[in-house]
Amino acid sequence: MSAAVHLLPLSVVLPITAGVLAPALFHRRHNACSWWAITAAALTLATTLTLVSEALDGGLVRYPVGGWPAPYGIELVFDGLGILMGSAAGLLTLLILIASRAFVQTEATPQRHSLFHGLVLINLGGMNGFLAASDLFNLFVFMEVFSISAYALVALARGPVAALAALKYLIVGAVSSMLVLLAIALLHAQTGSLNMSDIGDRLAAAQAPAAAGLALGCLVVGFLVKAAVFPLHFWLPDAHASAPSPVSALLSGLVVKMGIVGLIRTRMLFAEADIFSLVALDLLLVWLGVAAIVIGAVLAMIQRELKLMLAYSTVTNMGYIALGLGLATPAAVGGALAHMGFHALIKTGLFLSAGALVLSTGLSRIDDLRGLAQRMPVSSAALTLALLAVAGLPPTAGFVGKWQIALGALEAGQPWLIAVVMSGALLTLAWAIRIINSLYFLPPARGQVLTADEAPLSIRAPILMLGLVAMVGGLAGAMVLEWIEPLSFRILEAGHGH
Amino acid sequence: MTSVTLPSLLPLWILVVPLAGATLLAAASRHRQLLGPITLGTGGLCLGLVVVLIMAVRQGFQFELALMELAPPLRIVLRADALGTLFALLIATLFPMATAYALRYMGDDPRLGRFLALVLVSQGLMLGVAFAASLMTLLAFYELFSLIGYVLIVHDRSQRARAAGLKYIVYIVVGGVFILTGVILVYFLAGDLRFVPGGLFAADASQRHLLTAWACFMIGFGVKSALMPLHGWVADAHPAAPAPFSALLSGIMVAAGSFGILRVVFEVFGTSVLTELGVMPWLALLAGISAICAGALAVGEDELKRRLAYSTISQMAYVMLAVATLGELALVGALMHLSHHAFIKAGLFFCAGLVAAGTGYTRVSQLDGLGHRMPRTGVLMTLLALAMVGVPPLSGFLSKWLLGAALLADGSIVSLSVLLVGSLLAAAYLWPLILRIWLPLPGPPPADADAGEPPSLMLAMTATSAVITTLLGLAATLPGLPLELARLAAATLLGGSG
Repeated sequence: MSAAVHLLPLSVVLPITAGVLAPALFHRRHNACSWWAITAAALTLATTLTLVSEALDGGLVRYPVGGWPAPYGIELVFDGLGILMGSAAGLLTLLILIASRAFVQTEATPQRHSLFHGLVLINLGGMNGFLAASDLFNLFVFMEVFSISAYALVALARGPVAALAALKYLIVGAVSSMLVLLAIALLHAQTGSLNMSDIGDRLAAAQAPAAAGLALGCLVVGFLVKAAVFPLHFWLPDAHASAPSPVSALLSGLVVKMGIVGLIRTRMLFAEADIFSLVALDLLLVWLGVAAIVIGAVLAMIQRELKLMLAYSTVTNMGYIALGLGLATPAAVGGALAHMGFHALIKTGLFLSAGALVLSTGLSRIDDLRGLAQRMPVSSAALTLALLAVAGLPPTAGFVGKWQIALGALEAGQPWLIAVVMSGALLTLAWAIRIINSLYFLPPARGQVLTADEAPLSIRAPILMLGLVAMVGGLAGAMVLEWIEPLSFRILEAGHGH
Repeated sequence: MTSVTLPSLLPLWILVVPLAGATLLAAASRHRQLLGPITLGTGGLCLGLVVVLIMAVRQGFQFELALMELAPPLRIVLRADALGTLFALLIATLFPMATAYALRYMGDDPRLGRFLALVLVSQGLMLGVAFAASLMTLLAFYELFSLIGYVLIVHDRSQRARAAGLKYIVYIVVGGVFILTGVILVYFLAGDLRFVPGGLFAADASQRHLLTAWACFMIGFGVKSALMPLHGWVADAHPAAPAPFSALLSGIMVAAGSFGILRVVFEVFGTSVLTELGVMPWLALLAGISAICAGALAVGEDELKRRLAYSTISQMAYVMLAVATLGELALVGALMHLSHHAFIKAGLFFCAGLVAAGTGYTRVSQLDGLGHRMPRTGVLMTLLALAMVGVPPLSGFLSKWLLGAALLADGSIVSLSVLLVGSLLAAAYLWPLILRIWLPLPGPPPADADAGEPPSLMLAMTATSAVITTLLGLAATLPGLPLELARLAAATLLGGSG
């Protein structure tokens, strides 16, 4: 066991500890608290990146907690999902925290600044733990860690809508968590184990298809809610649009992806158990994905508020990911995984740059933001680049996933799905152009637009970076697809090895 | 794949120079006296590099450079072959003319720097289209170019420009989506996207898929090359854009659509597959309808720039008419017409801009007596109009002669008669211009008779296009001029198919 392995628990413990300490150490000392959080996030990112290089060199990184080997002890595993989403979570949280320096002062009351930073760090630790958990109980615990911190983060915003949206988010999230817990209880009752690959092995011997089927159903529904896949997305638009902008970025960029991670873990578990065919699950994902792509994009198009449009766009993009997973061909699964990472980047860039516009003007409807590009060229440019990327124009970061998923549709012998992929892109471009048009080519309609100041450097630098990466990120597409190839191979091959 | 050598970087340098110039312009946009030198210097340097490239290509060199990988098969690859170099020559000549023209035409526009920078960016992207060695590369550059085209069309920010821009972007984006669908199908069927003379497909490829892919490409590139009935954006976008960009829209953008069709016909499908599919007569039919209907529409149109736009649709249809025969001679004729038309039409749009700048008139019926007020503009306009009709010894005659001879040799009497009727229509829509310019006015000269000629730089650029037009007609066989390159390109494109 090399020394680097110990970094795996550190990537979970470090942000959570720093997060818990933040409100205690830095109550009402906004500046110090911000630096504390940024330092902790940067250290976590460094930890994760070391793990990534370790994992890319030598495959999985395993850490048996307390030295007890699995399946008797708890084991943390850093695999392809960790490489992809762990590095995305670390990097994006760091950028969000940097940008938050300016956001939080306006969007949350001073007493809550330290709470905000603490919760963001706890959220990061929860996600890292969720990605590394290889047993169902820890999966559940870390899911609750990032979920509850997310509810609280939504509630941090000023105004009555945020509190209501947070409550809605809390109730729906709690129900989905209960479903997951019920499924875990069922599986544990049948197999006497909590380790996921161990359950996979024992489930076939248990000969209880009804219980296993119920568990599968509960897990799928529970994680579909967390992933906001249509029609279980209804909690998302309010929560994501009314939260403070950095929180919106965090939720839309990263937290919803964790639902997909859970779904992938579920699918791998049941594919390994090999007690019933997963064709129905795949078909469900395809159809939900198709509906989400089209309906999400149409709903985004008819919104008037900038952040609501972006929130519905998350529904569309989660649809793409679900569609790719459901097609279950190498290209499509690779595309879905790549899109998870790329969409996280793009959506963070979108929410932070849109947040910068809203922050400077106090206006949130796109008709009110007309002509703002004159006064806020950098923020508008960053938003524009990210919008082109989310529409999936080649060679942007959003293109890689769409290309792979469309190719997967052909591989799966369902060419009509290309039309769905393309129409989703077209509809997205339609509302994206509406925003770009308002910002650049329409005369200002509101006074605040004429006096707005460009966002401070702490916002401009991260959003410009994210915008540029979103715009040309597709050029690194081959590299990302190569990283996640072993993972998509494992997802597809699980169960066929026996 | 060849390794990277200094000459193989030449296409990349040619492409980077305008982009670097645009960056410089953006940085210096507050110092108006710098705009001219930077723009012209960039254009000159780029043209110089293209000339070096032509000298190398004439020696039989063919450069290729793989840059980036989007997904494993999706490389961004640049290659300088004869066809691409010919198109690059057009771009590198016409863009500096348009930017130089714009320096005066938009001399008191506060956003001139921005306009010029965007034109330079679009030049770089269009050079990327010319040097694209794979469908994906071509599509990526073309889509980015098209989006920047939107910004340039709506530069005026008038209601009319915005409406035209909206129409343009809807057409172009939907077209782009069709092309992307075609690209996905091609990749699925052939497993490759590189341009290979003779085509990519195996003999046993599914006919239905091939037909679908072909239809997607025809719709997609048909929109861009203004093939009827997909021409809706052309007649609105040209008058709305500033005159220098109208010239580029007609001379380069629409030509690039035809260029894309050439690549698809000869280097993706290949002549044998297309003959087997039996789709070429349909292309000829559409092209014939375009040539005649657009010509008739031009005759009935009073607004000068709209009339010229319809003329573009009609003229570019000849190119498709010739391509549909799949003959080598016809291909040479098509390429000649593509390049000659670019300079003639650009010159005519420059004239329209001169008239608008000098008198404020935009309609054909207002041109009465122009020859007395603006004699030099009148002479140039007459010369260019004659070239467009095809009067010997101007370049328009030469390309039509080549086209006609090829169609006759191929036995396509119907296509030949379409060409002749189209030319008659061209005479019908351009002759009134000449008449109105030179016929003496019935009454005394109007009070503002000595409104005077517009600035000399604009006039010089218009004269340059007239000189090129004459030169290409008189001395077309000089080495390095379009005819030699077109012959080389036709031989390369058809060589592979035997």
